Amino acid sequence: MFDIIAVDISGRHKVKDEYLMVCASVAASVTADHIEKVNQVAIRSFRSNSAPDILYVVKMVEDTVSELKFSGTIVTEAGDFYNKPQWLIDNMFTHDFKYQESLSERRCIEIAHHVSLSSRKLLLKELGIQ
Amino acid sequence: MMRAILVKRNDPRSEDEKNELQMNELRELAEAAGYSVIAEMTQTRHPDRKYHLGRGKVDELAQIVADLKPDKVIFHNPLSTMQIYNISETCRCETIDKFQLILEIFATRATTHRSKLQVELARLEYELPRARAVISILKKDERPGFMGLGGYEDSYAQDVKNRMIRIKSELETIKKDNESLRAHRHSQGFSLIALAGYTNAGKSTLFNALVAENVESKDMLFTTLLPITRSLDVQGRDVLLTDTVGFIEDLPHWMVDAFRSTLDEIFLADVVLLVVDSSEPLEIIRKKLLVCHETMWDQLQDVGIVTVFNKTDLISEEELQECMLILGYLAPNPVAVSAKAGSGFDGLKSQMRDLLPEWKRVTLSFPISKEGMSIVAWIFNEGFVHGVNYDNGISIDFEARDKIISKAVSLVEKLSLALFL
Repeated sequence: MFDIIAVDISGRHKVKDEYLMVCASVAASVTADHIEKVNQVAIRSFRSNSAPDILYVVKMVEDTVSELKFSGTIVTEAGDFYNKPQWLIDNMFTHDFKYQESLSERRCIEIAHHVSLSSRKLLLKELGIQ
Repeated sequence: MMRAILVKRNDPRSEDEKNELQMNELRELAEAAGYSVIAEMTQTRHPDRKYHLGRGKVDELAQIVADLKPDKVIFHNPLSTMQIYNISETCRCETIDKFQLILEIFATRATTHRSKLQVELARLEYELPRARAVISILKKDERPGFMGLGGYEDSYAQDVKNRMIRIKSELETIKKDNESLRAHRHSQGFSLIALAGYTNAGKSTLFNALVAENVESKDMLFTTLLPITRSLDVQGRDVLLTDTVGFIEDLPHWMVDAFRSTLDEIFLADVVLLVVDSSEPLEIIRKKLLVCHETMWDQLQDVGIVTVFNKTDLISEEELQECMLILGYLAPNPVAVSAKAGSGFDGLKSQMRDLLPEWKRVTLSFPISKEGMSIVAWIFNEGFVHGVNYDNGISIDFEARDKIISKAVSLVEKLSLALFL
């Protein structure tokens, strides 16, 4: 079994002159094809006036992951880091980092995606932004 | 044998190793399609809108084509209609890309009605976005208005769409037949196991070795295009093993859609045997496993996966252990076999047995009679009998699916009731 932290960010597009983003991280224990246990989920929201660059995305991911009590390799989709090579992004992180590979890692990112998307929708609704 | 020149554009700052692998794969694909490769050309640059390569490189290619006179120029990168037209015009030679090459292979190997329809559908899916542009280029001089930029001929695109609708509905009928066949097989107590994996991993060889069959297996990409199913006894359980088409990197979504009914054999199985060629370098195995995970992840439901490290006769025990250890995070339930040498099948079968849908084990007792004996015979057919005792009536200890057990219980109840009355 391996411990991973799957991360996904929703809202990387402009809404009313600003970027309202929600980053979700899911700490889980996985095998190659199954999620054995979801240990914890952490969510954080971010606001920015400009489109997030790679350093800002790294900061968002690091901030969200720091709220988790569990450790593990951070796993994301390559698109979250503008498809830059893994070694380049890995050097920017204080934790271990990799792009998604196995079935279980993809499934975990799917969970993170649903969490970030639905919490962002809720946030927009509460703030009265459509 | 037809002759071809292979061309590949590498992205700037891309890994050399990856580029080399992709070129090797293109070479193997060309050979599988029956071409002999007479020259290869690569260029590292961002894609050009008109020619894909740089203008100078295309002129160089045209010179090589004039000298060597190949039948086709095959590009690794996907080309737009305009790029195909411009390159063909400059080189005076038919130009295709990797996907058209794959379609060519599929078209030459398609023998059944279903596979022919699938190939035709994939070809039309590929052609549709290009149909308008092709007509636009061909009728350039005929269109009304200044500089010929007026209306365009739409009937060809419409014709392509109509043909696609017709083929899809035919494939839908075949799919329904297959679904009912699959449901029938499930209801008959067969569990379904599918062989999946990158193309040329040795799936057909393993299939032949497991079921003592003689389907075509070659050291060539896409030898199997049509799923073949045979029954197999896995430690007392009857299963149906299906050999399927292999995966390939960057398989476009329209091709996955066209071959959906073939891929469903994998996606709807109870257990998937993910076959890996362990004789290849570690990095290549990792990349191929990645492609398999990528193709399967969205489609697979709750399915057990066994990773079969095949061709172990070609590597040492230490190399195999290292490979299994490093790739553990991508290889669920790993088993080492050599389909050619016939080793490791016991381990594979016991792993398959562990992942098959569970059967319950019960003991039923009923009086000895003619009807009772026919129940015993029926249970022998439908389940796995651990023991029968004929002292003081019949006591049978067996394993079977829920449905069979409840039917057996009701039959026994009926028999006891009949004897009581």
